[in-house]
Amino acid sequence: MSHRFASFTRASVLAMAALLAGPAFAQQEPCIGNSGPLTGAAAFGGAAVKYGAEIAIDEINEKGGVLGKKLRLIQYDDAGAPPRGVDNTRRVAMSDKCIAILGGYHSTVGLAQVDLVNEIGIPYIGTIAANTKIIENEKSPNYMFRVSAKDKWVAHFLVEQAVKASKNGKIAFIYENTGWGNGAFPDIKAAMKAKGKELVAAETFNWNDQDMSAQVIRIRDAGADTLLIWGLDREGNQIVRSLDKVAFKPTMIAAWGLAGNLGELAGPLANGVRVMQTFSWLGEMDAKTKVIWEKIQKKHGLKDPTELKMGSGTANAYDAVYILAKAIEKAGAYDWKKVREALYQVEHTGLVANYKPAFDKADPERQDAILPEYYRLTAWHDGKLLPIAQTPYGKSQ
Amino acid sequence: MQTALQYIFSGLAIGGIYALVALGFHIMWSTAKAVNFAHGDALMLGAVLAIMGIDVGLPIALAALLAVAASCLFGVILERYAVRPFAKTPTSIGWMLTTIAVGIMLEALVTMQFGGFSRPLPSPGVDKALNILGAGVYPQELLIPAVAVAVMLGFVWMQRSTLIGRAMQAVAFDRNAAALMGIDVNRMFAISFGLASALGGAAGILVAPVTQASAQMGLILGLKGFAVAIIGGVTSAPGVVIAGLAFGIIEKFVEGYISTAAREIIGFSIAILVLLIYPQGLFGKREVFKV
Amino acid sequence: MSARLPLFGFGLFLAFLVVVPLTATNEYELRLFMLFLIYAVVALGLNILVGLTGLVSLGQAGLFALGAYTGAILAVRLGFDLVSASIAAIIIASLFGALLAYPTVRVRGVYLAVITIAFGMIVENVAIEWQGLTGGPMGITGIPKPSAFGIPMTGFRYYTVLAVVLFAVVVVTHNLKRSKYGRAMLAVSQSETAAKSVGLNVTGIRTLAFVIAAATAGLAGVLYAFLNSYISPDTFTFSDSIRFLLMVVLGGAGTTSGALIGAFILTYLPEYLQQLQYWQKFAYGLLLAVVMFVLPMGIVGTAVVVFRRFVPRGRSIDMGNAVNIEAVVRQSVAGQTGSAELVASNLTIRFGGLTALNNVSIRVKPAQIHALIGPNGAGKSTFVNSVTGFYVPDEGRFELDGVNLTGQASYLIARKGLARTFQNTELFGDLTVFENLMVGYQRRLGYTLLDAALRTGRFRRQEEECRRAAISILAFVGLGDFAHEKARFLPFGLQRRLEIARALAAAPRLLLLDEPAAGLTTQEIEELAGMIRQIASFGISILLIEHHVDLIMSVADQVTVLDYGAVIASDTPASVQNDPRVIEAYFGTATVLEQAVS
Repeated sequence: MSHRFASFTRASVLAMAALLAGPAFAQQEPCIGNSGPLTGAAAFGGAAVKYGAEIAIDEINEKGGVLGKKLRLIQYDDAGAPPRGVDNTRRVAMSDKCIAILGGYHSTVGLAQVDLVNEIGIPYIGTIAANTKIIENEKSPNYMFRVSAKDKWVAHFLVEQAVKASKNGKIAFIYENTGWGNGAFPDIKAAMKAKGKELVAAETFNWNDQDMSAQVIRIRDAGADTLLIWGLDREGNQIVRSLDKVAFKPTMIAAWGLAGNLGELAGPLANGVRVMQTFSWLGEMDAKTKVIWEKIQKKHGLKDPTELKMGSGTANAYDAVYILAKAIEKAGAYDWKKVREALYQVEHTGLVANYKPAFDKADPERQDAILPEYYRLTAWHDGKLLPIAQTPYGKSQ
Repeated sequence: MQTALQYIFSGLAIGGIYALVALGFHIMWSTAKAVNFAHGDALMLGAVLAIMGIDVGLPIALAALLAVAASCLFGVILERYAVRPFAKTPTSIGWMLTTIAVGIMLEALVTMQFGGFSRPLPSPGVDKALNILGAGVYPQELLIPAVAVAVMLGFVWMQRSTLIGRAMQAVAFDRNAAALMGIDVNRMFAISFGLASALGGAAGILVAPVTQASAQMGLILGLKGFAVAIIGGVTSAPGVVIAGLAFGIIEKFVEGYISTAAREIIGFSIAILVLLIYPQGLFGKREVFKV
Repeated sequence: MSARLPLFGFGLFLAFLVVVPLTATNEYELRLFMLFLIYAVVALGLNILVGLTGLVSLGQAGLFALGAYTGAILAVRLGFDLVSASIAAIIIASLFGALLAYPTVRVRGVYLAVITIAFGMIVENVAIEWQGLTGGPMGITGIPKPSAFGIPMTGFRYYTVLAVVLFAVVVVTHNLKRSKYGRAMLAVSQSETAAKSVGLNVTGIRTLAFVIAAATAGLAGVLYAFLNSYISPDTFTFSDSIRFLLMVVLGGAGTTSGALIGAFILTYLPEYLQQLQYWQKFAYGLLLAVVMFVLPMGIVGTAVVVFRRFVPRGRSIDMGNAVNIEAVVRQSVAGQTGSAELVASNLTIRFGGLTALNNVSIRVKPAQIHALIGPNGAGKSTFVNSVTGFYVPDEGRFELDGVNLTGQASYLIARKGLARTFQNTELFGDLTVFENLMVGYQRRLGYTLLDAALRTGRFRRQEEECRRAAISILAFVGLGDFAHEKARFLPFGLQRRLEIARALAAAPRLLLLDEPAAGLTTQEIEELAGMIRQIASFGISILLIEHHVDLIMSVADQVTVLDYGAVIASDTPASVQNDPRVIEAYFGTATVLEQAVS
């Protein structure tokens, strides 16, 4: 009895000591945490990341894992809510003690994770959420990395396309009232300024809005002939329909929120909407892509690549896991700090890009692995989102 | 002028949706003095099942019919197992929470089966926008408020002129007295919930070509439809339809002339103010206070 | 035993709060437990509103958000510390709570539910839209680490802060529940009319409940903001409001331990549901549904019912403490002494085109038994309802001891020493017989909210007096054997008696009995007559509305007859009995009149 009590006390004291000492002494496990939306409206986004990460981990484990240990994927749902993303980060780092955490779909969630990730010091690798400040957060050392697009670069990329496409030089911007949309607004303004221009109109909308006529009327009355869009398919569809209703046909150039099923939703109205992506599973596949696609297909019973919504996220996550695995090998230990250092030395030929190196320690902008040169412009045509060169809209330029 | 007309058309379409949802609440309330907080999900179920029916190759009319039937069944089952056991308790927490629970389950199930994405329901009503005095509107959008008004008239007629309609009102007035008069009270409850949910499912099919269908479409439509029903006076069918259409138009004008952002804030503030001034809603019957 | 049980519970809970952090294996587990402490504060406050007052709030997340944003903004912009930020947040949230309570004056049930839903939606959307202040959809990051009076309150210190706060909230809410405030809330939730008739300010009590629920939610909001150092609108959605409500219902509405258990389960549940991945939301809904079916009274509520099935509670009460009944009912309250005189002059009340009372003047003399009779629809009950403030007379006035009370709220009139019973009994059905009497006694309890929260000496003394008085009255009306029976389970005759007893508990100077003999057996009527005479002998004036001629003849000093809303006679019982106009009013013919004349 007294012995038991003594051991209980000792355990308690140890637990207290461990708690007070903080997580620095914790031993990390060969697992990768993944927090993204598995339920709710953006469940497809969480699934996309999960698919890519799973295939990569399976492949790595087939070859014996990393440092002789098999990797595990620990999946948590953030339901698109930042507080849950933050809680999941804590759980992955403190309870599961994973070596790294993959970032999810929503920029709002990513932004909320920044402080905590750096406070704990667990490497975070973003796979979709593109908000600039998730990565460029002025923290040092910065544990936030990303293998995905960055809105600052996307803004430049799209504004360049817009300036090319616009005949009267009047460009308007419509964006969703979320962390993602609001975060992109300053990036777009900066990119316009770099071109010596200003937006003639900037409008917002909320998720689930069923009519955008008020906004598009204002944009039309501002005289714009080109419209930049930061939004998702559901609202993108309402934008093109409202444009149709007020008989206004600007050139539409969008961030990758419209890369899902806009073509199905809007039918022919979607034709000609240009969308930036990091990867496309549609059209001709190269051999490597084909192998991966077949694995995903088999595992999840998909029929057609169009069923893989937000496929860029799948490709990004696939690359992110490989980069991480290489970093762990280089670090030689399952240790957050060492892995972070090693991430700057990884070179990798991935699905999306040729990473050499993936990240650059000297340049805070280069905590992002995918450079703008790998961004590609696709366009909706007859229900399919194809590389722009394969559509009629590519030829006109 | 042209802009204002555009807002009125868009507002009527959105308001028509609110009115249809609110009518469902009215039908349930005017029999059972309880409602289904998952009524928005009846709407979702109708729309989603119709699309799934088309997916498996059914003709659109058959798919729609089956979807409405399934929604009706949903209402009847929900009333029997989620509302009736709690109808006699003095507070409304019981049926509020059970119906919310059913709504959560249904939404989760549909997200898994149907996907988180919105999907379109094909309809000739959204192929081409009409131009009326410079304002653009889809025929389907004009159809929605028209149907809302037609359904309202139909239900009022049913209440006044059919046996079932009168029996439903009797049950609402005093369920014990109605039972003594030989009315099967439970059957009336089932009929009203089934009718409301069938109407909800049909409304879902009607609005899906405009709003698109998704597992999440029910939640906010349900909440707003409920607010509209209460503002209009849940005991009055014309009241809820008028309130629904007005609410939709006000939303569009707020979006147009104030900001998109202010819409929900102003909308829900109006709801609170109306209830403070008219505790039974704008057109609701006043309950006489008796000691 | 029942007095010791809470103390034992508090001790057990305290031990729990000490042991858990010692056994937590990592920081994450500890943090999760801290979240539970915060949610429990919300649940305990909401329990006062939902469990006791019977009002449903589907906007509690809005109040939680108000607290969190107030605290976060003040901490980030103005450098407020934990204490000052908490005080500010409690004030702001309470103000909004009081605002939310205002509609309850006019709306109830689903209407109120809509108002609370709308309130939650407005707060959420303001948080999203007012970017300059709230950070918009991205919320507020970088909330400073909590500190109080310059001392950092991080890690285990913050845990201690949360544990102390929760423990204090547990004790205070539990104490309030077992005071006149808790009883008044339960009473209001069961019969608003009866509550007014014993002098309860219904609006005030509802406001108090809303303010308590809002203050605790606001406090919890601040604590959450400091714990998380980050807040965003997504924490404060409609489904969060549902979750708070569910905490209360799941544990067992109205019970302190229930709110704690509910909060505990719903804090930890999502952690386990995470394993289900795509199915977790479905499982959550399923669980909610199952709980409502299997445990409609919540975990603790159901457990108590099951426990009572095996260990029934005795219905009777120890009558040893009874004191002299006359002293109990004749006690002077707020300087009011002696028998009251009611003078109603020229009262007129119209309902639409119908004149229910037409120029009625009645004088009830001190310490008299004054009977008011008349055929059905003559306006008797209308008269009672107007002099007790339930109806406002269109013309005329009424005074109690020369003080004009016309147009006053019914609870204020009741506090002047005017007690009544109802034609259709209005009891607090789910309260026990004993508790009904304690609520009746309410206007004599002078202790304050602070006394109740801290169970001061004054509180304990007055409560003891209240108990003793209640026992005496129980003995007087012969309900001692039913003290712990719920009022609605009493046989009809005893319910009538309980209503009279409850009115007596208020130490009335004038008692209005609205058809007390209706539905009673001959034997019961005889007992009633005795009781009425005895009450009058204590010096309480009585206005007796009755049909029962024998009863009136045997007890009344004076009889007033109403017909078609007008007084047609007012005299001693004997003369009224032979008044031809009275006879005509009752029998509707002139033949009796002729006979009487001849």
